This record gives sequence, C-alpha cells and structure tokens, in this order.
Amino acid sequence: MPSPATSLANAWALFQGLLIEALPFLLIGVLISALARWLSPGGGWLRQLPSDPLLGPLTGAGLGFALPACECGNVPVARQMLVAGAPLGTALGFLFAAPVLNPIVLASTFAAFPDQPWLLLARPVGAVMVAVGLSLLLRLIPEPELLRPELLAERRLNQPLTSVSLLERSGGLLGPPQSAPPPAPPPRPSPGELIRHGANEFLGLALLLVLGCLIAALVQTFVPRGWLLAVGSAPTLSVVALMLLAWVVSVCSSVDAFLALSFAAQVTPGALLAFLLLGPVIDLKLLGLLGLLFRPVGLALTAAGASLLVLLIGQWVNLWRL
Amino acid sequence: MGEPVAPLTPPLIQRAALGRAIALGLWALVLLRSVADGRLDLLLRAAFHPLVALAGLLLLGLAGLQLALGLQPEGATERLRPRQAWNLAATAVLAGMLLMLPPSPSFATLAGQRPPDRTAVTAPDAELSFTLPPAQRSLTDWVRLLRSQPDPRLFDGDPVRISGFVLPQPDAPPQLARLLVRCCLADAAPVGLPVRWPPATTPPQADQWLAIEGVMALEGPPGSEQLVVVPREVQVIPRPARPLEP
Repeated sequence: MPSPATSLANAWALFQGLLIEALPFLLIGVLISALARWLSPGGGWLRQLPSDPLLGPLTGAGLGFALPACECGNVPVARQMLVAGAPLGTALGFLFAAPVLNPIVLASTFAAFPDQPWLLLARPVGAVMVAVGLSLLLRLIPEPELLRPELLAERRLNQPLTSVSLLERSGGLLGPPQSAPPPAPPPRPSPGELIRHGANEFLGLALLLVLGCLIAALVQTFVPRGWLLAVGSAPTLSVVALMLLAWVVSVCSSVDAFLALSFAAQVTPGALLAFLLLGPVIDLKLLGLLGLLFRPVGLALTAAGASLLVLLIGQWVNLWRL
Repeated sequence: MGEPVAPLTPPLIQRAALGRAIALGLWALVLLRSVADGRLDLLLRAAFHPLVALAGLLLLGLAGLQLALGLQPEGATERLRPRQAWNLAATAVLAGMLLMLPPSPSFATLAGQRPPDRTAVTAPDAELSFTLPPAQRSLTDWVRLLRSQPDPRLFDGDPVRISGFVLPQPDAPPQLARLLVRCCLADAAPVGLPVRWPPATTPPQADQWLAIEGVMALEGPPGSEQLVVVPREVQVIPRPARPLEP
C-alpha cells in the first residue's frame, strides 16, 4: 500500500499530464469557435440545418468530419452552435458524435486495430447511434430546463421570434414578424471583440477542465485499474468495467484507441467497443466542461443515457462476437 | 491648487483586459515552462510536445494582443466583474502551484496499480527490434520481441544491456520495468523483465533506476521455461531525461 505522500505525488503528476495534454485541444476548439463567429457572425447557416429529430443529429454528427477536434475542443464549438441558434438536435449530434466521427480519431482507431475491421465500422456507427439516442432523449426536456441560463439567454437572441416569444427572449421588437423587414445580418465582430470573447471562453473552460482533470487524477490514483480489468472475460461485467474505466481514465478520443490496444486481449469485444464509445461522450474530465452547456438534470441524463446506450451496444456486440 | 489629479487606478476597460491578459499569460507560462524544464518528458508522449509548445506560444500571443487592445482608449465600458476576478485569482493560484510543484511520480506505485501492457508486435515500431543486435535492444524491445517470438530458447545466452526502474512483484522477485505511454501518464502501462538478482547483494529498492549488463538465461521446468536477465553488472543510475517509452 503506497504512502499518502506517494499517492498524492502520483495524483499531482497524473493531473498535470491530463491537463497539459488537454489544454492545446481546448485552445483549438476555442479558436475554431472564434473563427466560426468571424466567418459567419450571426451563424445564419446553422439555423438552416435540419431540425428533424433524426436528420438533425445525423447532420450534426457529419459536421465532425469538417471540424476535427477531440471532445475537449468540441465543447466550445458545440456551445457556439447553440448560441448561434442551431437546432438543438443538430448541436447535440455534433457534441456527442463528432469526437469519434472525425478523420483523426478514425485514423488512430485504424492504426491501433488494423486487424479488426468490425471495430473500424462499429465505432463510428455506434457513436452515431449513441448521439442520436442521446439527442432524442434530451429533446424531451424543455430547453430552459436543459441548458444553462447564460447559454439559453444568448441562444434566445439568435432564435427567430416565430419560435421564441418576446418574454422568453427578454428583448426584441414588437410587431408581426411577417410584416417586418428581414433583419440585417449582424456585423462581423471586431478583432478586439473576437479576442475578448475567445479569451473569456478559454479561461472559463480551462478552469472547468482543471476540475475534471483533478477528479480523474484522484480516482485513478486511489482506484487500482486492475480491479476494473479483473472481470475482463465476463460478458456483462466486462462491459460495465470498461465503461467505468472510460469514465476514470479520461483520455482524449484521438488517442484512446492506443490505450485500448494495451488491454484489448484481456477483455471481451463488446467491452472494448464500450470503452471506445463512452469516453468521447462523457467522462470525469468532461463533466466540468459539459457543465457549461447543461443544467444538472441535463448532465445527469447525458451521463445515464450514454451509459445505458453504450451498455446495450456492448452487450449486443458480445452476443454477436462471442 | 485647481490642478486635476490623475486617477490612481487604470480605467475599467484596462483592468478587465489586463486581467484576461494576465490569466492567458499565466497559462502560456505553464505550458512553455513545461516544455522548457523537461517535465513534459515525464508526463506526455514526445509526439505531443510540439503541440504543447505551439499552444503556449499561441496563448502568449493572445495575451499580448489582449493587453495591446485593452490599452486602447475606446470602449472604456467593460468592468472587471466579480466572476472574472475570481477566475483570475483561481488561475493565478493554480498556475503558481503548477510552476512551483513539478511532478514527481513514483513509477513503481503507478505501475503496481495497472495491469501490464499486453501490446504484441502490433506496436508501430516493434519490427525494428528484430534487426537490432541483442546488446542494443532496449527493455521494451526485448519484451516485444519475446512476445512476438514465444520460443525463449532462441535467445538463451544473448547479451543484454538494458535500463529501467525496479518494479516489485507480489509473489516474485522485483522486475526491471519501463512505462509505455500512448498519450500521457494517465494511460501508462508497465512492461517488465524478470531478473535473477545476485544473491549476495541487498534487494533493489522500488523505483530505483538501474542499468544492467548481463545475459539472457532460461529458467523454469522443461517445456515452460522463461527467460530471465542474469546481471553481470548492476549500476544505479539517475532517472533518464525521457523515462517514458512509446
């Protein structure tokens, strides 16, 4: 049993490793978000994306191919989509599926598992299934109960008055929308405004990332990983164990396939897929970042819904592959 | 008398922008200092180091831009809100801790809590180890080679020159081990080789870094022999600058 001082030293090192690895990806996400604000100030094209319950999340998931960021970088981009008034399902589809459905992650999965073609197909397909399922689930909650108040207030300003009342928007012009002239597109933000907004976003997210990394480092230090992998051959328990591992380890989706490779031989195929599906959607490190988008009920539903969907997929794969 | 007195505090816009510039600068300092003082070698795989350096430089540039923009006179309407002040204070405390307290993990404890790495010859550069002369193989090369070629008799008597840290085993003598990382220390997994420690010497301490020269020898009952390192010379060495292996 290591001494408390040794455990704390290890937790501090793990914390630094997780944080320093994630910060560049967070910065990339904030820069992409700022670029989107500059290129499309009002985000008008985002509001034109499909709001269909099924087509919306699928479109959002497909956007991952255009914005190759891992899950840390995805949060600011998804937030910007929500602020710009994108349909909820589309933004959620992007948030949950894009960390897997992007070229970097698919290439790293192929590099790690070139001899397992079923996994190369199952990972993106599973990610889309989880994203669609979660989007359908979260759409059941009214936006004011799902999204953080600050985010909702910004989002309301960019939503058309035909879908949001003046009371909900807390501002705007009176009058029938059909007789009003089309509103002029908002001006392109000045460099100063862009930097101010990006800096505030990065600084806020960085502190939330710190919180997540701290929790992940402490849990990793005090829960030996061998406990989780000890049940590797049991069909259901192995899926649950690898899902817990994905929660705890909290590595970026761009490299998690290489980590999975190190224990792939010890666990069932369904458990392996569960690890690769759950981590990009939710883990201890992401809790803080997602807390910037969702109220606690949304966060809890995301965590529970993602875990249940991934468990079902993992179980099904085990029935098929074992 | 009658002379206007210059304000002692800067305008509000400058204070808010100054706060952001300081916070961005502190994060930049954390990243750039991590690159400069070598701690990244202890935390991250080398492939990520340029990304961290680039992020540090970008943050530094953003901090400079924020400072320059904040010092411009127009738009003096932004207050440093309490939440921003709190964020700045938290960032300052955290950055101070990160700068002053470098990581000092116990590799043996970390490795003891994790199952060994099971990666076989699918590792990207594993095939290189076949072409290396035995004495030039690293500990990781040896582990991968033995997994890819399970007949240990092929390597009996081969010279060995390896280094690693001492990893205690629950029911066996300590091994000489290395940590493999795919991304960062959080995913590190150990690989180790059994060693027949000289009987006359005191057992090595956990976490001690050793360089061993010797030969490979077979051990165990016929049919289930395994290779062990038989040291000819054991030397205590400082932890290498890059202790993690890909």
